Amino acid sequence: MELNSNKTVEKDELTGDKLLSDHEYDNIRELDNNLPKWWVWLFIITIVGSLVYPFVIKTQKDEWKNEMATAGASAGQSSVVSAADTIALTDQASLDAGKEIWLKQCKVCHLEGGQGLVGPNMTDNFAIYGCSYYNVLNIITVGAPEKGMISWKTQLSGDQIKKVASFVMTLRGTTPPNPKAPQGEPCK
Amino acid sequence: MENQTFYYDNKIVKNFAYATLFWGVIGMVVGLLLALQFIWPALTFGIPYTTFGRIRPIHTNAVIFAFVGNGMFTGIYYSLQRLCKARMFNDLLSKINFWGWQLIIVFAALSFAFGVTTGKEYAELEWPIDLLVAVIWLVFGWNMIGTIIKRRTQHIYVAIWFYIATFVTITVLHVTNSLAIPVGLFKSYPIYAGVQDALVQWWYGHNAVAFFLTTPFLGLMYYFLPKAANRPIYSYRLSIVHFWALIFLYIWAGPHHLLYSALPDWAQSLGVVFSVMLIAPSWGGMVNGLLTLRGAWDRVREDPVLKFMVVAVTAYGMSTFEGPMMSTKTVNAISHFTDWTVGHAHIGALGWNGFLTFAVLYYLIPRIFQTQLFSKKIANLHFWIGTLGIIFYAVPLYWGAITQASMWKEFTADGFLKYPNFLETVTQLQPMYAARAIGGGLYIVGIVLGIYNLILTIKAGKFLPEEVASAPALLKVQGKRGSGEGIHRWLERRPVQFTLFALVAILIGGLIEIVPLYLINSNIPTIASVKPYTPLELQGRDIYVREGCYTCHSQQVRPFRSETERYGEYAKAGEYVYDHPFQWGSKRNGPDLSREGVVGGRQYRPNSWHYNHMENPQRLNAQSIMPVYKWLITDDLDLSTTAKKIRVMQFLGVPYPQGYDQIANDELMAQARGIADDLKAQGIQVEPTKEIIAMIAYLQRLGKDVHAAGQPTAINPVK
Repeated sequence: MELNSNKTVEKDELTGDKLLSDHEYDNIRELDNNLPKWWVWLFIITIVGSLVYPFVIKTQKDEWKNEMATAGASAGQSSVVSAADTIALTDQASLDAGKEIWLKQCKVCHLEGGQGLVGPNMTDNFAIYGCSYYNVLNIITVGAPEKGMISWKTQLSGDQIKKVASFVMTLRGTTPPNPKAPQGEPCK
Repeated sequence: MENQTFYYDNKIVKNFAYATLFWGVIGMVVGLLLALQFIWPALTFGIPYTTFGRIRPIHTNAVIFAFVGNGMFTGIYYSLQRLCKARMFNDLLSKINFWGWQLIIVFAALSFAFGVTTGKEYAELEWPIDLLVAVIWLVFGWNMIGTIIKRRTQHIYVAIWFYIATFVTITVLHVTNSLAIPVGLFKSYPIYAGVQDALVQWWYGHNAVAFFLTTPFLGLMYYFLPKAANRPIYSYRLSIVHFWALIFLYIWAGPHHLLYSALPDWAQSLGVVFSVMLIAPSWGGMVNGLLTLRGAWDRVREDPVLKFMVVAVTAYGMSTFEGPMMSTKTVNAISHFTDWTVGHAHIGALGWNGFLTFAVLYYLIPRIFQTQLFSKKIANLHFWIGTLGIIFYAVPLYWGAITQASMWKEFTADGFLKYPNFLETVTQLQPMYAARAIGGGLYIVGIVLGIYNLILTIKAGKFLPEEVASAPALLKVQGKRGSGEGIHRWLERRPVQFTLFALVAILIGGLIEIVPLYLINSNIPTIASVKPYTPLELQGRDIYVREGCYTCHSQQVRPFRSETERYGEYAKAGEYVYDHPFQWGSKRNGPDLSREGVVGGRQYRPNSWHYNHMENPQRLNAQSIMPVYKWLITDDLDLSTTAKKIRVMQFLGVPYPQGYDQIANDELMAQARGIADDLKAQGIQVEPTKEIIAMIAYLQRLGKDVHAAGQPTAINPVK
């Protein structure tokens, strides 16, 4: 509806901006201001950027390949344990480091004290894959995937595997609560 | 011309306002419970109905559709009548809209607690409730368009443009995303699978944010802000440009929820660029709102309504800048799957929607009760506690998100993940989760103060159910453009044409993105080793959906070294072709599960581990925040549904052999006995008919097929 039949331009008292003459909705008026310049430029820049974007982006498959290639030299893969590794580490620092790994990675199956639950008991005098330090190193490194023992060589360094295996050797003979029944062969 | 006298219906406004407050408190208290479950997982109480995966959808749906939804109806029913100088089109439709919506909310809350869910975020409602939503929504639209048509003003104001866009777009989104084939009254499978389902779902999910949480609230801002400030709108021209740009561009941006996923690169790129182009149109609303306050800033200091509005509009500006930033691949690689997303969502929900809703309530309740707000002081206290609450909520989550993402990505000098155990990265965030809960708690305290203030206002006032108004009748106007009349000015007095234009604007983006995914095979390269789920795995998958596992676990390994080292092969489009619905998830409170069944993989766990873990996760890891799922061990699997499920899957194109539904339960039992026997060998006695067996079967299937395919080179596009 036409509010102003006269042609004089109405102005907002506080700002002096021009009011649109026939724009009145439940007493809400509208000003005849232009789009803010910075806003228009922002819009234009994002549109232009968007037109360019598809030509500069790599496919995500290529991104992944590049990332893997760059990491190539340093990518983790523990050296396979050698038969020469027969003596467990005994220094406290190594055993503490081993325990820390145990608490993060191993206890979810063997439980905190090594009493076993999903995985076998580490505290009794039985073992499925052999009792020696070398045997323990080996099973941690290669795993027994079909039984649920992961191969840790892609997640732990050789050094870390030695530390955690050494820690495992100290569990034997301890007496945590609720030990799992013995599995495997008795150790000599 | 003769003035006509008529009455505004304030009763419907009052009802919606009360419902807004009621559901707001419930939705947010459930949110607080969820926040506390991060700190004390025992607060799931060991029963199904209060477990995180089931009540998270109650929280999100209650806040979005019950609190914000009722708030939106409150504001629309109030402003639409006044902007049209007309009573609502039909009182009965208003009532059906109100009571139908409340009924939907009750059904929603109950069904989620009972595990009835489609497993698609913000669209979890099962098909019978979806139908009810569609009916009630159309009633709302009919009532609204009817009111607009019988209006006494010549032009429709910008607020109404936004209401119209809301109505048409939500209709299209809801219907398209909810298409499903029922298995029974409480279970259906979506017609889309895998990548297609993901794209449709996030086209919906993103635009639910756009057209349920944004456009109606921009409409409310355009009415209530100039009314409260008594100032003219800054720029009519800006209204036009940002309105059309916003609704046209918004609809394209859905794929930004699926960056670095198995969605084809071209679709991801569209999601990125359209999100970035959205900054200016979104800010158009903020700019027009804030500049409308020029000359009235002194009043902002005094008037709580304006204070709430200013923070709401500022929060809108912040989150609509943050959103596009999170949609760039660089930021998304860090923010996705972390609490950043959660923080972002809450800046929007608590700041923009929550504060604007309270501004509207503080504005209109005193008016319809013919009184003044009971206490400005309490309203100011609400304002400050609420603002502090938002800051305490969001800042710790941003901090936590960056912390966690860095931990996920960090490698040692030897080239190993520094934090290979996912749980470490969760435990690290505990202080942030505590701070977040305090922030959320503060916000609720603010709301309680607000409700107290409104109750005393209501008590002091006298309700005016029928508010008298008068306006000249609208003359029959000619359809053609008058001389000197701009196209848009013409459109503003042709609401039906306006609605159709808006519909076309929002259909373009959706069609261009979704249709090619169906028509062009090379978008989803087939992987020969990917086979349909066995009946037992299918049943297990439905339990996974029922329990809402997707609320904490993704099934989408991104092509980053840090993820392929942690989980295994990155996600391929072809591995999800039988996933009705897809279960990619959007947040990792626990690790990704899509490589869980790969024997010899980094995530592999034996059956007995899963059994023990579901029974008591904290026994395996004291810091774990996983809820217990004891009932899976005691509850029997419902075998009566197997045949029907197979038939529905066949109908959807899953290649089970002819007549397979008849032997499905035999195969199911054979597989179940195998798992039960394996558990027995590990000293666990459980009958093969229990739900846990199906769940284990499903988990052990995850990732197997794609790993059987070997390296990505073994994947060949069809034809």
